[in-house]
Amino acid sequence: MAARAERARAQVRRIGARVLAGVGVLWGAATLSFLALHATAGDAALATVAGDGANPTQAVLERVRQDYGLDLPLHRQYLNYLGNLLTGDLGESYQQRISVTRAIGEQLGPTVALALSAALLALVLAVTVAVLTAGRRRWVRSTASGVEVVIASFPTFVLGLLLLIVFSFRTGWFPVSGNDGFSALVLPAVTLALPIAAVLGQVLRAELEDVLEQPFILTARTRGMRDTAVRVRHALRHALIQIVTMSGYMIGTLLGGAVITETLFVRRGVGQLMLTAVTTKDIPLVLGVVLFAAAVYVVVNLVVDIVYGLVDPRVVTA
Amino acid sequence: MRVRRKMQSLAGVAVLALLAGCGAGGGATAGPGTANEPARGAALNAEGTPVSGGTLRLSMNTDPLCLDPHAISSDVEQIFGHILTDNLIYLDEQGQPGPYLAESWQISPDGRTYTFKLRQGVTFSDGTPFDAEAVRVNFEHMLDPTTRSPLAGPYIAPYKDSRIIDPYTIEVHLSVPYSPFLDVLAQGWLGLLSPKAINETTPAQLCEKPIGSGPFVLTGYTKNQGVTFVRRPGYNWAPPQLKQTGEAKLDGIEVSWVGQDAVRFNSLTGGQYEATGYVPAQNAAALKNNPNFVYANVNRIGLPYTVEFNTSRAPFDNLDVRRAFAAAVNVPAIVQTLGFGERQQSTSYVDRVTKYYDPAVKLPGFDPKLANQLLDQAGWTSRNGDGYRTRDGRELVVQWPVSQAGTVSPIFDLIQAQVKSVGIRVNIQLLPSTQVTTLRYAGDYDLTYGVWHTNTPDVLYIKYASFSIPNSKRLGQNTSHLSDPQVDQWLDQARQTTDQATQQKLYSQVQGRLAQLVPGIPVYDNSVLWAFSRKLHNVSVDTSHGTPLFTYAWLEK
Repeated sequence: MAARAERARAQVRRIGARVLAGVGVLWGAATLSFLALHATAGDAALATVAGDGANPTQAVLERVRQDYGLDLPLHRQYLNYLGNLLTGDLGESYQQRISVTRAIGEQLGPTVALALSAALLALVLAVTVAVLTAGRRRWVRSTASGVEVVIASFPTFVLGLLLLIVFSFRTGWFPVSGNDGFSALVLPAVTLALPIAAVLGQVLRAELEDVLEQPFILTARTRGMRDTAVRVRHALRHALIQIVTMSGYMIGTLLGGAVITETLFVRRGVGQLMLTAVTTKDIPLVLGVVLFAAAVYVVVNLVVDIVYGLVDPRVVTA
Repeated sequence: MRVRRKMQSLAGVAVLALLAGCGAGGGATAGPGTANEPARGAALNAEGTPVSGGTLRLSMNTDPLCLDPHAISSDVEQIFGHILTDNLIYLDEQGQPGPYLAESWQISPDGRTYTFKLRQGVTFSDGTPFDAEAVRVNFEHMLDPTTRSPLAGPYIAPYKDSRIIDPYTIEVHLSVPYSPFLDVLAQGWLGLLSPKAINETTPAQLCEKPIGSGPFVLTGYTKNQGVTFVRRPGYNWAPPQLKQTGEAKLDGIEVSWVGQDAVRFNSLTGGQYEATGYVPAQNAAALKNNPNFVYANVNRIGLPYTVEFNTSRAPFDNLDVRRAFAAAVNVPAIVQTLGFGERQQSTSYVDRVTKYYDPAVKLPGFDPKLANQLLDQAGWTSRNGDGYRTRDGRELVVQWPVSQAGTVSPIFDLIQAQVKSVGIRVNIQLLPSTQVTTLRYAGDYDLTYGVWHTNTPDVLYIKYASFSIPNSKRLGQNTSHLSDPQVDQWLDQARQTTDQATQQKLYSQVQGRLAQLVPGIPVYDNSVLWAFSRKLHNVSVDTSHGTPLFTYAWLEK
């Protein structure tokens, strides 16, 4: 009993420490992006009202500076920003003139749909290919691996454009752009999923091949188990842990890839929002999206940590 | 600078268009001057018996992020303005101000008081009546710093106040005589909004839901996706020049933003949209040859696409160096490369469709021999190991900050290569657009570039008057920093007189003088390329911007 209570306490301490670290990550992300955005030359007030084709009066420019506190010294701006953050206020987008929270909220749905379907597709593809090719004849493995390397190293933009040319411009099977329904989601999801599937596939195959060499596999085979069953029920279970470890990579790629995919396919979403915000030096919006992405990262990693702790108690003492 | 971004993506996506097999080569046979420009005010594809109904699906290149016409400088507003709002003035085919919501007007002899007689029976879509008070509230909204007006406010900068004489008569007082006043009142950015909406909502809310009196009403706006409009019931006050009355024919208009040029072109030809603004130049030939589409390439009023010299510092403070640089640039070759045969080479410092454009102006032509001679004359006589000219041991090098949006326009590389042959080094600095904006207002560059579209020859004041030079107290668009007392005097006089013959003479003189002062190299006349399905009929060419006007457009069932 005492041992169990002790373990639970350790678990809580561990999670507490992770949460604190997560907060630290968020603070770091906010600070670094704040400094980076202000360090890059370019006057935010000018960018807000005096970009291409604009001819505002000086009074308008001064007004914008005042409204957003851009006339204050940088440390004051930073403290104001952090203070507002603590109250959950991410500020107002310079360009869209709505709250950053709302701007992100409005674009979140389509990005979540895109990211989840891409993640699912990537997993299914990677697992299928890995299970089918691991430990097979040399030419099968090297062909699969070769294709994966090519896909993984393809720029997302080019990949998406090729898919568009073939499946939309030429055949007209899928709409070229937009957010209307499932058919508009297919090409973007495939574009985003393929590079992830390629990397996961490589890792999974290596892991599977490793596991297939293990003595317990031999035992299973000698019990008369069929090859597919061995692969799926025994080997895959071990190999899948590897996927959990790679969740960080997946999230990073999904979020980064969303910017390009959404832009190319003219999909509404956080990625498009980010791109517009960066090109117009919309500081609160950029910071908001960065914080949002960091928060997703932190939360997912925290969840993975907790799951690890539950699955494998050794992690707790580690 | 309005289409700077567009130009870059236009050129950049040429590669993608080739990849997509869209056939970018067709324009190569057409030389400059062959643009098939429809007449301003013309109704395109007007044949057939009009029917009501149907929703027009329109794709545009960028989201303005705010729909209050007074609060944006987005090009998109040139089309949206006439969907959502009405103006006081509509220009005729010759660019003369004609009636719209203002039925008539009088200008005082000193040019400072405009008295407008307003049309009666007009309402905004929230039921608010249109009257003199509405006009006053609109002018004040444009000038209120909280509106953050980047264009509408500056265009009526001389506005002082108004006196309401009776509900349908308003006397507008200007602080100085300003002859372009009526012209700018016809621009999409100066469309009129419901005074109730202006007074009762914040500028930010107005951005999302502007309320006009136009032929269509805004019903939905999803950022980064699109806007929807539906027909305004009871609309009956279109500009008389459309020669039609009553409500719009279309049930509604659905606008989507499609940023990628190749995607926009293919989604139009694929039938996802019935019309698109901003057709990529490399795809124009394909659309022209496609019998299912109507293609329109309309030159715009204002400053052509111009490469500008910063005349306020060395080396371009020296006229000989400017002339030499201009003589070293092969403009026809550049126009061909950039425009795929769809752009006309400029012949003056205003586009050829600008009122008082002077065809007699002679711009310096391509003449490398002259360029070398002028540089020798300016003292840049020796050459260094790289072949660039030097004077007192210093290299003849110029800085050209350009913004980075997708792939960069080939114009920078072309000019860099062309002037190298006479010994000038061009340093292209590839920067984010916000940085270029900052450098532009700080005057920290040797070369810059851009267009300025407006519907009045007063564009010359905006671009070349000393008053318009940016400084710490005032933003401005005179990015060549030209300061010439003679030019200033003529431009001021042109603003002060409403006598057309005098204006013509003055604007001609300014164009001639600019050709001598060489503040920049006009490259091609800025034009707007748009296309629509043959199923869409009776699309008018707006006289102010050359953009499509859908008030009485109709869709074949």
